[in-house]
Amino acid sequence: MHLAVLILEDERPVRDALARDLTRFGDHVRLEVAEDVADAWVVIDELDRAGDRLALVLADHRLPGTSGVDFLVQLLDDRRTAHARKVLVTGQADQTDTIRAVNEAGLDHYIAKPWDPDELRTVVREQLTEHVIEHRLDPLPHLQALDAARVMPLLRSRGDR
Amino acid sequence: MTDATPLRVIVIAERDLATALTEELSAEPDEPTPGSAHLADVVEVVAVRGPEQAVELAAGDPGIGVPLVVLASPTGAVDTTIDTLDRSPALRRAATLLLTDRAVIDDAARAIDDDRLDAVIAIPWTAGALQVHARSQVARWLRARLPDDPRSGSLVDDAGRPLELPDSDLLRDLELEPDAVTERLLAAIERVLGPRPRLRLPPGIRLTHQDEGVNAVLVVLRGSVALDRSTRVGDLRLHHGSTGPVVGLLSLAQQRQAFFTARTTTDVEVVHLSLEQLDRALRSEPEVGAAMAGVSIRALAQRLRRSEQLQVEKIELNRELDEERARLADALHQLEQARLELVEQARFATLGELAAGIAHELNNPVAALDRAASYIGEDLDRVLDSHPQGPALTRALTASRDRPAMSTAQEREQRRVLEATTGDRELARRFLAAGITDPDDARRLAAGPRAAIDLLEAAAGIGTAIRNLDVGAERISALVASLRSYARPDGTPVDDVDLHDGIEDTLRLTAHRLRGATITREYGELPRIRCHPGQLGQVWTNLLVNAAEAIESEGHIRVRTDAPDPEHVRVRISDDGPGMPPDVLERAFEPRFTTKQGTVRYGLGLGLAIARRLVEAHDGRLSLAADPSGTTATVLLPVAGPADDTTSRPPHPARPAPGG
Repeated sequence: MHLAVLILEDERPVRDALARDLTRFGDHVRLEVAEDVADAWVVIDELDRAGDRLALVLADHRLPGTSGVDFLVQLLDDRRTAHARKVLVTGQADQTDTIRAVNEAGLDHYIAKPWDPDELRTVVREQLTEHVIEHRLDPLPHLQALDAARVMPLLRSRGDR
Repeated sequence: MTDATPLRVIVIAERDLATALTEELSAEPDEPTPGSAHLADVVEVVAVRGPEQAVELAAGDPGIGVPLVVLASPTGAVDTTIDTLDRSPALRRAATLLLTDRAVIDDAARAIDDDRLDAVIAIPWTAGALQVHARSQVARWLRARLPDDPRSGSLVDDAGRPLELPDSDLLRDLELEPDAVTERLLAAIERVLGPRPRLRLPPGIRLTHQDEGVNAVLVVLRGSVALDRSTRVGDLRLHHGSTGPVVGLLSLAQQRQAFFTARTTTDVEVVHLSLEQLDRALRSEPEVGAAMAGVSIRALAQRLRRSEQLQVEKIELNRELDEERARLADALHQLEQARLELVEQARFATLGELAAGIAHELNNPVAALDRAASYIGEDLDRVLDSHPQGPALTRALTASRDRPAMSTAQEREQRRVLEATTGDRELARRFLAAGITDPDDARRLAAGPRAAIDLLEAAAGIGTAIRNLDVGAERISALVASLRSYARPDGTPVDDVDLHDGIEDTLRLTAHRLRGATITREYGELPRIRCHPGQLGQVWTNLLVNAAEAIESEGHIRVRTDAPDPEHVRVRISDDGPGMPPDVLERAFEPRFTTKQGTVRYGLGLGLAIARRLVEAHDGRLSLAADPSGTTATVLLPVAGPADDTTSRPPHPARPAPGG
């Protein structure tokens, strides 16, 4: 079982840049990109078939025909995705959308464009760690993508079993 | 008297009653009035059985005058009976006496309302009373209808006074001239008290004092007295012409407190009467009471009439005040809206200047960015030339720079092929990122050192970066160009403007507000027109943003252009939102109108109002049509553009929009 990170972004240069900035996670978690909501669901189906677990979604705020916030809300209704951490990556969310993302989609983090690559990676690492701790997953296979210090106790407690 | 109109009193009654009535009316009175004509000398009394017969009778002798109809115990309702009588013009003019033995009459409402009942007499009646009534009615009728007829003077009472005048002291006093009543009052008083001295006073003398006790009345024989009252808003003169001849009299009904200050306004002559003197006069001489009552009633009537008149004036004034208030409120409303529009215009002008400034400032960094991208490419070519793997790296770089756009789904498909070849998903992803798609290449590289892959990946990364730099710089350049033409200051109208350019600029600049919408362009062939491009940019902005807000999160916006005739171009912007009900549509152009409670919102508030003004300043028309499948805004513009000067500035907002 792999942890998967899904990037949902309609503009190719931005998508490329996000994927490239996260490339060093690629050896430890599954990185997937989608250009629209429909494609994102195709990816989610594929993950499900491969037995992988969607741990984190990075979604753009504005997407053709829908908003990233709507997608994040949809995720809550699907048992395969309800538990995924949700991060909004946006250049111009207005306050209403942000409030809705927090209140209705259970938004975990908010990254403003243009982003700082180190900060982006820190957020991804933190969110993956949170996911593992929250669901008491075995951290060992994903350790390189996680905050080792924080998962240590979990590791020990699992070892005690 | 041969040529005089014959007169006839018609009695409508059943047989026995008819006989009795006819006899009484025709009878010689027991005590004939000396000097007065006898009723039977003047009129003929004819009895009939019902109202229809009365009408027939009157119609049969059109030359005969009918001063009086005596209606005795009619079998039908009083109103219906009088309706029947009214079919005859002669009977309609006649006075009507109703004789009845009913205790309650509930069928004469219309007759009262139409003033068609002159007297109601109960059966049995006092002997002779009928004749008295009849004589008075005939005399009154004669005086009103035939004033020159000598018979009208022949019906008089024992004092020789016309019969239709009242006989009682009070009623008689009320009909006398005011001075005459005062004289009668004074004469009666002096009969008791003896001659009263006359007081002569100059103007400005107070005869009573407001809110103080009154212990005497003053009979004014000559001159004028005003009644003043001091109030919160100052001294008010409430009566002058309506003061009445006895000052202080009405205070007697108010615990002897003066409500007014009575003040002489001319030289006056008055008679002073203490309450004791008045009391004595009233006790000793009944006529003092009658005259006093007459004076009082008359004074009250005058004051009442004045106060009624004031009441009417007050109501009229209030109504005028209400209208004035409504006009003021309206004016205020218009001012407020004009102010809002001015603020909005000013805001837009400021934004325009700001945009122009930003566009200017962005040019240099964009140029630097654009050049930097190509320099990196050129320099890198030189660097790679000297590298052992130069050609392969250059290929990887060029391939990823020029790689056509693929959907994320297509990329995944390719990755799956590479994954099958190499058996490593992450490696497959990196191959793809490095622009390596051929399975054979992939297999070869996978077998070799990882460093070679890293290098290729880096070269491809540079290619992608250069491409994205180009794309980014190009987009910024386009935005800057749009901003500059959008924010172009308005001067004189510009010739040869392509409307599509302005619409495209606006679409680009408002893209962030239209992201939820799919834009469909249906552009027709348009002649170039003369216009203020900046103002039209504001129009497209407002219409597009309105359309986007109508569809909320998802939907379509259609932008259609065509030339309906050689002189005009037309732009239609439609959305597939919920549309607007007619009452909302009607008010959509009102500044500040929004339907925030409903689904359609006009976030700009003033947007449509300003758009319409700007279009009208171009001698064009902006109209709105809506149904549940959406809303369409149509802008019709003349190719020739606005007349010179009229639109060199934004139109004055206070000018009412035609038809708006």
